[in-house]
Amino acid sequence: MAIRDEDIVPVSAPPLNALENVYLPEIARGFGVTLRHLATSWNKGKTTRAMEYPEERREMRPVEKGGQFKDNFRGVHRLNRDAAGRVKCVACMMCPTICPANCIHIDAADSPWDDREKYPRKFEIDELRCIYCGMCEEACPVDAIELTPEYDITGLSRQEMVFDKEKLLAVYDATIEKKPM
Amino acid sequence: MLEFLDEVVTGQLVVSVAVILVILHVNLVGVAYLILLERKLSAWIQDRIGPNRCGPVGLFQPIADGVKLLVKEDYKPKGADLALFSLAPMAIIIPALIGWVVIPWGGEWAMPEFTLPVLGTFGGQRVVVAGADVGIGVIFLLAVASLGVYGVTLGGWASNNKYSLFGGLRATAGMISYEIPMGASILAVLLLSGAVRPQTLIEQQVAGGWYVVAQPLAALLFFVCILAEANRAPFDNAEAEQELVGGYHTEYSSMRFGMFLLAEYAHLITSSAFLALLFLGGYHLPFVGWTSPAAVGLGPALVKVVVFFTKVFFIVSFMMLVRWTIPRVRWDQVMKLAWNALIPLGIALVVLTAALVYLEWTAWWQTLLMNAAVAAAVLAIQPLMPGPAEKNRRVPLAGSRFCPIAPEPVSAESEAPTTGGRPASRGLAGVS
Repeated sequence: MAIRDEDIVPVSAPPLNALENVYLPEIARGFGVTLRHLATSWNKGKTTRAMEYPEERREMRPVEKGGQFKDNFRGVHRLNRDAAGRVKCVACMMCPTICPANCIHIDAADSPWDDREKYPRKFEIDELRCIYCGMCEEACPVDAIELTPEYDITGLSRQEMVFDKEKLLAVYDATIEKKPM
Repeated sequence: MLEFLDEVVTGQLVVSVAVILVILHVNLVGVAYLILLERKLSAWIQDRIGPNRCGPVGLFQPIADGVKLLVKEDYKPKGADLALFSLAPMAIIIPALIGWVVIPWGGEWAMPEFTLPVLGTFGGQRVVVAGADVGIGVIFLLAVASLGVYGVTLGGWASNNKYSLFGGLRATAGMISYEIPMGASILAVLLLSGAVRPQTLIEQQVAGGWYVVAQPLAALLFFVCILAEANRAPFDNAEAEQELVGGYHTEYSSMRFGMFLLAEYAHLITSSAFLALLFLGGYHLPFVGWTSPAAVGLGPALVKVVVFFTKVFFIVSFMMLVRWTIPRVRWDQVMKLAWNALIPLGIALVVLTAALVYLEWTAWWQTLLMNAAVAAAVLAIQPLMPGPAEKNRRVPLAGSRFCPIAPEPVSAESEAPTTGGRPASRGLAGVS
């Protein structure tokens, strides 16, 4: 469909005055801005925004200075345990359904315990496919899957980065102190 | 036995060889560290830290970069012209390096007499601490500085890549456009000095004031033109990453790419030395006796070299500041700047300087007044010039609904349906 004339809003840049049109005064002002940043940020001055990562981490800074907000940071997943130490998950398949990256794979089985019908025999998350959107956490009806503040996970192979149930429970054990349930 | 050598092996030759060896190595190492300086400066300007992992404050980074470039795969694209592809990095770095030979880094030196075995006795006369005391040094520099564009164009052509070719074309067009105002600004200086020997140029600036004071507009013009000649921002359209994915060196990798990188910075040093020579008094500093041409001892010669290098360093740093301050100009704006602004300005400067020279009004304040008059005239005339085209204008392309020409009547045979009085294109006809 052609654009109708009444839908067109012409927007014009304001005209330059004579000094702006010869560029040089404006360029000199630009040098002022550049030099100000140069003067205040060299030798890790007060305007330096960079963080020297391996030595300095976001956890070390207060939130208002660019630090990590642990309560809703979306890092690697964990599978929560209940009071008895069992996996909380009831294999309801909400998280693999909502997952936009299709990275959660659950193999459900009849629960060996009396308080629920199903439990995950296998629970795998491909951390390389995951986009860390947190939808699984939102969808979970029993707060079994959660994202933790851990973000620097590494592995030597793709297979190693597919976290199974034991690994995800181990993440729970490792991070429960840092981020209580 | 070796008497014929007396004609050839003079004190000047010995000094020249020494200067060439020293300058070449100092500048090549300097080029590597200029890359580090640029990365550091850009980091600080953008509130970052910059390379700081290799050695103290990143000082070994150029070595790491060099090793990385040397051991990387040397990729040759399919269908590339291999001879030209290999030639291009050499064609760009050699002109950038040989420009250094005529720069009189240390001025004149009264060489003491000394004797070497076999070769005989040298010295006892004045020599110029430069690679070569060329009588037409400025012309030589002008010629050599423009040769660098061959490397860019060859690289763009030989890569068998349309983006590279565009980069090469842009570099060529830019060179042709910016050579004219550059020549005009040099001419404005040469008219005043009446000499093209670098050493004489400096002596005249010492006597009559630096040409940056006498001809500030010419200096500005020259600075803009060397930025464009060296393919530096804001005129680096030949390698515009956003449009041309790297331009002429898209297909280059390994040390061939390193050559392009080195050549860019070597070119910066050459053109900065050229600027210092023409406008900033070369090795001269006011009120410092050792840097005047009258001081011809060994100590003054070394001080002059240091002063010259310091000036070059500051000009190169300023060019880096320009790169991280001014965004890249669009390609048609580059051409417009050259042909609508710089070339008329350069011609006006040359004509008026020639008139002043004819009238023998060549004191520095007289040419400075002339420059001020030209600048005032630019400010006065500029609002009267036709401005850019209206940005929201409707371009009456043939076939569009803004086209004043009526659309061609559709022949009955094609049976194409028409929409709103204009022929539907063949692609849309199938859809509707």
